[in-house]
Amino acid sequence: MSEYIEQFMDEEGTITADTSVMTKPENAPEPITNKDLLKSWFRWWWANEVPHTYDRMLAPAFCFGMIPALKKLYKDKAMLAESFQRHLMFFNTQAVWGGGTLTGVSISLEEARAKALHEGRPEEAVDVTMINNTKIGLMGPLAGIGDAIDSGTVQYIFIAIFLPFAKAGNGLGAVLPFLCFALSTFIYGFFFTKMGYNLGRGAAKEIMTGAKMKSVINALGVLGLFMMGIMAAQYVDVSSTLEFTINQKEFVIQDILDSILPGLLPLLTVLALYLFFDKKGLKITKGMIILTVSLIILAAIGIL
Amino acid sequence: MELTVIQALIIAIWVALIESRCLGYATLTLRFSPLMTGFICGVVMGDVAGAMKVTATIQLIYMGAVAPGGTLPSEPAIAAAIAVPVALIGSLSPNQAVAIAVPVGLLGSYLYQFRFFLNTFFTKLMDKNAAEANDKGLALSIMLVPTLISFCLFIPMTFIALYFGAPVISDVVNMISNGPIFHILEVVGGGLAALGIAVIMHVIGKKSLLIFFFLAYFMSVSLSSLEINTVTYAIFGCVFAGMYILFTAKEA
Repeated sequence: MSEYIEQFMDEEGTITADTSVMTKPENAPEPITNKDLLKSWFRWWWANEVPHTYDRMLAPAFCFGMIPALKKLYKDKAMLAESFQRHLMFFNTQAVWGGGTLTGVSISLEEARAKALHEGRPEEAVDVTMINNTKIGLMGPLAGIGDAIDSGTVQYIFIAIFLPFAKAGNGLGAVLPFLCFALSTFIYGFFFTKMGYNLGRGAAKEIMTGAKMKSVINALGVLGLFMMGIMAAQYVDVSSTLEFTINQKEFVIQDILDSILPGLLPLLTVLALYLFFDKKGLKITKGMIILTVSLIILAAIGIL
Repeated sequence: MELTVIQALIIAIWVALIESRCLGYATLTLRFSPLMTGFICGVVMGDVAGAMKVTATIQLIYMGAVAPGGTLPSEPAIAAAIAVPVALIGSLSPNQAVAIAVPVGLLGSYLYQFRFFLNTFFTKLMDKNAAEANDKGLALSIMLVPTLISFCLFIPMTFIALYFGAPVISDVVNMISNGPIFHILEVVGGGLAALGIAVIMHVIGKKSLLIFFFLAYFMSVSLSSLEINTVTYAIFGCVFAGMYILFTAKEA
């Protein structure tokens, strides 16, 4: 441990560096280029879930992405160590919408801070707490959008499109959804990083309230729900095996149901589960257990 | 068909690559969906077509796998890594494989959470490197250490389950497969597909858009004799999404 850094540490090891050293000519921050943004985005994208821990969640991965940018901005060792510590604090968000945007936003805030400090305007420099609060404040809402769109909609649109290939025994049914999802999220995640960098703190507001963004999100919802309708019709298989005879007339329940409305039972099953999640919240395991037990009972007594 | 040591080991390494997440965000689909794992099992065991048919059925129950906050209630990739080889060894039907996949996937999710727990012990190392402004040490402690932990955790566990467990499981399933239990398993397998679909409908979360679900459902049911494939339906879906934007756009 270098003595130079150690002098800025409190008892808990938190560094509060002397910002006045930033005015020295050798501590001039290097400009951030498009390539640096790509590098940071790629590193965050790569590290993402690898160092997931209970106490910091994804902060180490976020820090891993920030390292090259921070090294360009803070040439002073104590300032650099302080910035590493800052980005190792608790952080958790979705990789593309949250992580991409906030990587860009954080780099733009750090750059503004380093520049202002170097030019001897510490009172105008972006405050450390503002950087932290921006990240903490935006990570949740952005993660909510990102989870619903990326893992909840985009991923399953690709899977739904290529599943028939898999069903027919073709390996492309596995490879294509994987490639399409990895490529598309990498590309628009970098777009978010750049947007975050260019807009700074305003970026998240742009995503959350921008009219164009809203209609894109809705359109994805339309496509997602449409594909789920197709999936439900083609793959949910609930049918009655019940049949009985009254006065020599045979009643086959499934035939009667089909004459009323084909595909009624699978639809009712999906809607019942949907209403359950709607009323009780997204309790997947509970929903699965209730469904499994009901199916077992109905199958055992011969209704299904 | 039997599983050799090498085959079990390759599948175990594949599982560790995914569950350590060391291939980046691309591992999201690899982990949330059993498709690629099933495909790899098929390649390793020399029966891609058989493996894909089983995996497609397993995929259906995991359609709704989303992880709010990073925890999945089940690990589809681990489920496929065990259930697909078992199904190939014992010549099981896809629906029987589902019955194996569900409990294995649940156990797998405990293993994944155990990974977070082990990682937590190594944050001290990151803090030390950060305080020394040692960027190379910091990068290594963030990326290399957790990856190694995951490999030590997932390779032996998957290997043991596969090499020693797979033949036993397939024998047991074969034993019960004729009779009422098999009918029940088939019914459960067919109905469970509804779960994931309902979850996604909930996650998309826009009730007013549900009419598009009904549109697609009845289109598919009533046009089933035309055998329209899903890619075509996806194009229909894109057209409807485009129309939605067109009709709801405010006049400038």
